[in-house]
Amino acid sequence: MPQEGNSREPADPMKLWEPWYETASKAWSNTSDGSKQAYVDPFGFYQTWLKSVGNAQEQVQEQLKAGSFGTMDPKEAWKLWFEATTTIWEKAIGKGTDPLGLTTQWLEMMEEARARILAETNIPADPFTLMKQWYDATSESWATVIGDIIGTERFMESSSQFLESYTSLYRTFSRANEEFFSNLQLPTRSDIARVAELVVEVEDKVEQVEDAIEDLEDNYSKVVSSTLDGRFDQVEKKLAAFPTVLQKLTTVDALEKRLDQVERKVDALPAALQKLTTVDDVEKRLDRVESKLDKLLIVLEKIEAKESPKTSKPTTPTPGKAQAAKREPSKGQALPVEAESVSRRTK
Amino acid sequence: MNQNKTTQSDFDSAFKKYRTGMQIILEGAKADTGQTPKEVIWTKNKAKLYHYEPMVEKRFPIPILMIYALINRPYVLDLMPGNSFVEYLVKHGFDVFMLDWGTPGDEDKKLSFEDYVLDYIPRAVKKVLKAARAEEISLLGYCMGGTMTAMYAALFPDKLLRNLILLTAPVDFTPDDMGLFGLMTSPKYFNPDHVVEAFGNIPADFIDTGNRMLKPVTNYVGTYVTMWDRLMQGKSMDTWLAMNKWVNDGVPFAGEAFRQWIREFYQQNKLVKGEITLRGRKVDLSNISCPILSIAGSKDHICTLPQAEAIKRVVSSKEVDFHVVDAGHVGLMTGSDARKDVWPTILHWLEPRSSKE
Repeated sequence: MPQEGNSREPADPMKLWEPWYETASKAWSNTSDGSKQAYVDPFGFYQTWLKSVGNAQEQVQEQLKAGSFGTMDPKEAWKLWFEATTTIWEKAIGKGTDPLGLTTQWLEMMEEARARILAETNIPADPFTLMKQWYDATSESWATVIGDIIGTERFMESSSQFLESYTSLYRTFSRANEEFFSNLQLPTRSDIARVAELVVEVEDKVEQVEDAIEDLEDNYSKVVSSTLDGRFDQVEKKLAAFPTVLQKLTTVDALEKRLDQVERKVDALPAALQKLTTVDDVEKRLDRVESKLDKLLIVLEKIEAKESPKTSKPTTPTPGKAQAAKREPSKGQALPVEAESVSRRTK
Repeated sequence: MNQNKTTQSDFDSAFKKYRTGMQIILEGAKADTGQTPKEVIWTKNKAKLYHYEPMVEKRFPIPILMIYALINRPYVLDLMPGNSFVEYLVKHGFDVFMLDWGTPGDEDKKLSFEDYVLDYIPRAVKKVLKAARAEEISLLGYCMGGTMTAMYAALFPDKLLRNLILLTAPVDFTPDDMGLFGLMTSPKYFNPDHVVEAFGNIPADFIDTGNRMLKPVTNYVGTYVTMWDRLMQGKSMDTWLAMNKWVNDGVPFAGEAFRQWIREFYQQNKLVKGEITLRGRKVDLSNISCPILSIAGSKDHICTLPQAEAIKRVVSSKEVDFHVVDAGHVGLMTGSDARKDVWPTILHWLEPRSSKE
């Protein structure tokens, strides 16, 4: 957009084109003159080439005037062309206008091409085939020659100068055009570019927002998935506990069986205990029997004691002796059956 | 054409061919390029991220993102059916993506390598991973795109980068190894500031002229000799037209990026020395540790062999496969030799490295 405070008069681009035209014309004029200041053709190649073409044209015209061209053999035409184009170059070398020896190289190349093409038995009259043959015969040499030209410091220097002057001029024109249209209150290319820059910036911000939202979505889904993961873990843990519980249940089942067994055994206990009670009763009865036997023994001792004074005066036995006597009866004395059984039980 | 007897039909045929040839020269080559079905899944400014539609069942979970140079159209990798590297990979079950930088306008003259390497590529990688539902990626960089991909790999040496494929990617810019380019970009003869200040963005023709001047006879004459030859012999013109269209379909170079490219890469050779810094972040190529496949052409005059081969000595990857093929800068990936040699080489290298570990 036009900038405020710019009070300069609009510059007419046509006025700027004028010096450009003059500069360009001068450059071409220098080129055709072989001037050393020319950027485009520092070695006068164009001039030489143009002269060679003109020379060839003249020679062909002479042939036509002589009426011999119509029946000319293609080989003859080629010879004529080579001779016409190479003579001028040879002359150029003679004048010392070949500072880099490039023309010599070119001439060598032409000679090589001539030899190759003329070696062919049939020179095609078809211009396209001929052109292909010509290219195949000369392209490599051409590439070498041109490569040699371009690859020199001198060529680079000339190109550099040309580029510098061209870019400088281009900048000047661009600036002048900008000013001219600005002063005419017309939007220029750079004005539109500025607007486009703003659009790009806005787009960039939208992109950033979109990016942030996407990140948020991704992160949210990650958080949700991680929460779900946690809960799933818990459920999984609980599920993992199930086999243990089930195993325990199996253990309980086993225990139940064992309990059943225990119960059965416990059930069997009363009977056993009852049996034990019976034994107890027997014991009591035995006690009673023993008691009765004791009483009986005492009675027997008393009876014995009553009878013994009649035979001898018995010494009064101590209770131990009495008992020993009871346990060890004299020879030939038989104990009563009841007494014997009591003695066994005591043992 | 019969040399002895020229018939009316011969004349008509020759005239028709001549008219076709002149039409191509005057109007430019026309061809349907980039026909592999694709979808734009993301855009940023002029850049677009393409996702190629699968043609067979996906065999490899690791997606491939192709990154081309800033100054040419990426459809050279998807030239035409039957001569498309993209189609080749898709048909072999790869999930293929491509980053198309688009055409910078006047408003983009300040775009720099900082923007491309730190903003565009990481975002594109993120989008690819999301679209492919993958956690790892293979990156394929061609020419300057390869250099930029290597820079990205050095700055983001995270685990998501599984494989790195570099095609004719210059890494070392030692002037003696660059042939004529070394002289053309020498600070003695070329000041990028002058060009940037004059043009803003560097016109495609300017860049193209510089490249063509490396082989002027082949590029300015040989191409059209081939055209006439093919026309006159009645050979198929499809590939020639597609290639010629691509060659003449250059993209302007964003001014600031051009200044950096010439000054910091070509004139100061900072990349291989580890002296490039992007927004304060040092680009150290030794940070790259993933497997690398680098392919260079022995006839390449834009990225010479030593320039590409340098990757072997600057990265810390245990696996660096460097292949040299008998081809030029573009012929490396197009044409019948590419189909027979380079494409299968890439495919067989990628296949075992594109499965989940």
